[in-house]
This record gives sequence, C-alpha cells and structure tokens, in this order.
Amino acid sequence: MQQSSILLLFFFLMGIALIVFTYVYLSSKKADQGMTNPLKKRFWFFLILTVMMGIFASVTIPKSPYFAFADKTPAKVIHVAAMQFSFFLSENAIDPEKPSGQQIELPVDEVVEFRVTSLDVNHGFAIYDESNRLITQTQAMPGYVNRLRYQFDEPGKYNILCLEYCGMAHQVMRSSFTVK
Amino acid sequence: MESIKIRKITSIWIITVLTLFVASIVLGILMRLNQGGVLQQTPITFYSNMTIHGITMIGIWFVAGMAGINYLMERYVKTSYTANLIALILTVIGVLLLWAVTLIGKFHTAWTFLYPLPLKVMWAKWATPTFLVAMSILSVGWLIWGISMMTQVLKKYSIAQAFAWQHFKKDPEVKTPPFILISMITLVGVITCLFVAVVLMALYFAEYFSGGSFVNDALLMKNLTYFFGHTIANEMLYLGLAVIYELFAEVGGRPKWKTTWYVALAWNFTLIFILTAFFHHLYMDFVQPEGFQIVGQLASYLASLPAAAVTVFSVWVAVYRVKIKWTLTNLLFFIGVAGWVIGGFGAVIDATISNNIVLHNTLWVPAHFHTYNVMGNVLFSLGFFYWFSIQFTDKLVSERFSKLILSLLIIGGAGFLLAFYIGGADSIPRRFSNYPAEFTSAKFLANFGAAFATIYLIPILILFYNITKRCLKILFSSSS
Repeated sequence: MQQSSILLLFFFLMGIALIVFTYVYLSSKKADQGMTNPLKKRFWFFLILTVMMGIFASVTIPKSPYFAFADKTPAKVIHVAAMQFSFFLSENAIDPEKPSGQQIELPVDEVVEFRVTSLDVNHGFAIYDESNRLITQTQAMPGYVNRLRYQFDEPGKYNILCLEYCGMAHQVMRSSFTVK
Repeated sequence: MESIKIRKITSIWIITVLTLFVASIVLGILMRLNQGGVLQQTPITFYSNMTIHGITMIGIWFVAGMAGINYLMERYVKTSYTANLIALILTVIGVLLLWAVTLIGKFHTAWTFLYPLPLKVMWAKWATPTFLVAMSILSVGWLIWGISMMTQVLKKYSIAQAFAWQHFKKDPEVKTPPFILISMITLVGVITCLFVAVVLMALYFAEYFSGGSFVNDALLMKNLTYFFGHTIANEMLYLGLAVIYELFAEVGGRPKWKTTWYVALAWNFTLIFILTAFFHHLYMDFVQPEGFQIVGQLASYLASLPAAAVTVFSVWVAVYRVKIKWTLTNLLFFIGVAGWVIGGFGAVIDATISNNIVLHNTLWVPAHFHTYNVMGNVLFSLGFFYWFSIQFTDKLVSERFSKLILSLLIIGGAGFLLAFYIGGADSIPRRFSNYPAEFTSAKFLANFGAAFATIYLIPILILFYNITKRCLKILFSSSS
C-alpha cells in the first residue's frame, strides 16, 4: 500500500538524519581541527542530493493524477455536486438550482470519470476503500469542474468524505457508492 | 538611548509571543483531547479554537522572527524604532480583534479562510468584516515593518551588495554579511506575500460591500490565499535561519560565518523557488494549469536543495570535530536544524504530486508542518529569546537544567508528531472535530498526541517563566 511505503520512507530518512546529527554532535566532544576542506565534501553532498531528487522527480511526475487514464474513454461518467454538508452524485448533469442525486453503481476494472464541482464553498471529494484507506481524491470548487479518473480493481462499498474544511458539519459530510 | 528602546521593545515582543504561544498550545491540546473523545466541545467551539490556534501560531512565530532580525540588524544598520513600534501596536490590535472574532463571534473558517467560506456567514454577523479588518491591520503593520527594514539595509548596501551578487566574482571589495543577505532575501518574500495579502483582503471587501454585484473567482482567490499563507509560513523559517547564521558560531565561541559565492547563489535561488512552491497547495485542483502543478513539485524540491546543501552542511561543518561551547542557545539551534530537516523530508514527500493524492488534507499535513515548527522554527526563536534575555543578566540556566528542558522538548515533540504521521499514513482526515467510527486508531492517536504535547508544554512553561522574568527586568530597568 502506498501509504505504508511513504511512512517507511519517512522513517528511513528520519533515521539517517538522526544518526548524522547525533554523530556530528558527539564528534564535537573529542574535537581536533575540524573538517579538512569542507568545500569539496559539500560539492559531493550537493551532487548526491540533486541526483536523488532528480530521479525522484522524474519517476513520480509521470504518475501524477492529471495524466492517469488520459488516453482511455471512461465507461461511465458521474456528476458530483458538493454542498454544505452533503454530496449529490448522478449519472446525469446536476441542476444547481434543484440539485438531486441517485444511488451510484460503478463497473469494476473499467475507467470511470467523476466530474466534481461545488455549489457553495470549497469541499474535498475523497474516495476511501473498504479497508478505509484513502485511494484517490480531488477538490470541489465553486465555478469549476475537476475531472477525476479512476479504475476500481475491487468490488465493494466505497465511502466519500469531504477533505477540505467547509464549516461546522464538515466532519459528517459524506456519501458512498458501490462497485460491482 | 536607541539601544535601550530596541531592547525594551524586543522584550515586549518576546513576552507577547511566549504568552500567546502557551495559550495556543493549550487550545491545541484541547483540540486533540476533543478528537480523542476525552472532551466534548461543540463542533463550532472546536473549529473556532482551530481557527485561532492556526492564525496565532503563524502570526507569533512570524513576528518572533521579525523581532529577532530587527534586534540583530542594529549591529549593521540603524533600524526604524517607529516602524517596529507601529508593527507592535497593529499586531496587538489585530490579535485582540482575531481572538474576539473567533472566541466571541465564533468565526470558524480555519486559518486558511478559503474563499468564499468567510462570506458564508455561519457566525456573528460582525465577525466577517472584523476578521477582514483584523487581517488587513496585521498585513499593513507587517508590511510597514518589512519595507522599513529593507529601506534601512538599502541605505547602507546597494541592491547588488544586499543580494551579495559581488560574491560571484573573486575577492569582492565589499563583503556582505550572511545575516544581511538572508534577511534581505527573506524580506523580499515577506513584502511580496504581504502585498498579496492586502490585495486578497481588498478583493474580499469588494465582494462583501458590493451587495452581490461583484463575485470573485474561486481559483484565483485560492492561489492568492496560498501565495500569502504558504509563503509567510515559510519565510518565518528563514527569519529564524538568519538568526542562526548570525549567532550559531558566535555563541559557540567560533569565528563568524562568511558569505561565499555558493552561499550567495544558494540564497538567491531560494528566493525564486520559495515564491513558486505554494502551487503544491493546489495539486488536487485539477483545473489549475498542469504547468503550475509541475512547477509546484519542482520548486518544492529545489527550494530544499540550497537550504540543505548550504545551511545544514554549514551547521555540520561548524560542529564536526570542532570544540564547541555548548549552551542552551546553540543546542536549541542545533536540535532545531535537525527538526527542520526531518520536517522537510515529510514536506518533500507530501509535495510529490503522486503521494499528495493519498496524503492531501490527511493528518500527514499537520504532521510535517508541526515538525518544522514545533521542533524547528520554535526552537530557533526560543534560542534567540534565551540568548537575548541572558545578555543583560548574569544568572544562566544550569547545564543539568538545560538537559532536562531539551529532553522534555524532544520526548514531548516526538510523541506528539508521531501520532500525526501515523494518523496521516492511516488516511485519517485533518480538521475533523470528531472522527467517524471507522477510523479505529484515530481517537487513541489523538489522546496519545495530546499527552505528549502536554509533556512538550512543560519545558515551554519553564522557558516562559525564565525568559519572561528576565525580559520584564529589561523592560522595567532604567539603566542601559
């Protein structure tokens, strides 16, 4: 799972930082004349950091959600309108004056597209799987439609939570759909 | 006479910051206890507290950095006492209004006040205009302060010298002290983002008083909000770093750091990257042009490179196998740099778009920014506060007592932050007054975080007492 790998990576990097800082601190206890030619070592330090970040950027940027399934035609398009403090989901376009939603069922292993907007303030549209893990999200912004594409590999019930703070009942703003 | 005045006003800044810091930590602990189910606040109370907790923390550590560089800048150029005083008066007025707006008016938009939430009145009617007035007062006060300090620097140094461009050539005639270079770079960022804040407030006022005839664009307002919010939150870190460049070597009894071509280059690049990194707050707004999103990730990465390669490496070189006179001040600086680096890792991970899609607005966000504040920037400023307060008194904190203070800060800070990181990896949302039942670990983590935040509060209270007592003495002493 992506989140577990992220946490492990963070702990790994934190461990390295803690070891280096502790080592440097302890070295000041048995001091001599300091580092010889630190400039040379600084160059290598800088180079290694730049190369690592370059690799990290070139690997991760193509995986950005904006490029996901861009060449596919979605099997289903779902319109989403967020409003304090509920979501309307529909297979048809939603009338902002009289918003209404319906039960949504999505196909497994096929690309679907959510067209997400807001009828009042900014909201979040975050999809959680059955093990309660955040799998994808976008924002719901008034006056704009964000298109989120996703392919569900597992059938089941998926929850939608608002992840952008939107007011006093933000924490109970939710909805759901099923994938079959 | 002037030096006594600046000493006194710096004391007032320090006392104000520490008092508000303690109050805001208490609000934070109450929030975590509410999320843990130990307390039962109404959601409105929770979100009002959350709003003032966030605004106060950003505000106080920004002014702490500004007061720090203002005091130290007197070593190089004459600063304007009037501008400092205006900033202090306007800050006090702004803060009082904001506390009234949130705690009495129940204004609860979170500190990011994303458009159009402040205009959807769900609180006392007077709260929205008062909030906008308070934010304008703070922005204008700080803008005057920033512009005044920059003007004073430019009276002594040319623009090229203030940015240390002459260091790109061999053996420059005029040497720019690193403190001046970093202060200048930071002040440009500060002035730019405060100017944007003033524009943002003007747009809010225009819509508020238009009676519905003028409506703002939500995407533009979000960009402006984060340009202001992200940049000011980052610049306050750099204000703290300027203090470290000035004091780290001095406190340890070592020769002062010098500006070299690579220090000059790194900081000049930082200015560019830090002003474009805010785009990472809009990764989940897919309508934002893709180019901005990629720039956001690259700028977030690149902003960390010069800082790491120059500042962190300089701190290591200054300490590695070098006999250092360790005191509470430089230990706070050293631990703060470590905390800043670790928080930076969390931030870079989150600033990666493909990670952000599963981390955005989860507890990972407060995890990383609390790391480089609670264990980074706050320690930079506390180091300065302590150093400042002992300049005019002979009684120091004993070595054993220093160790106790630092141990409690590290243990409390680490436990408090760990709960956030694990919560983020568990997909637990941030800014929820109460957690839905399906987040089984959320309540435990919230109480765990609250317990360790309380441990962190103990050394803060000790330092509060210790430093405030000395600052009061400075404030009420008549001699120089």
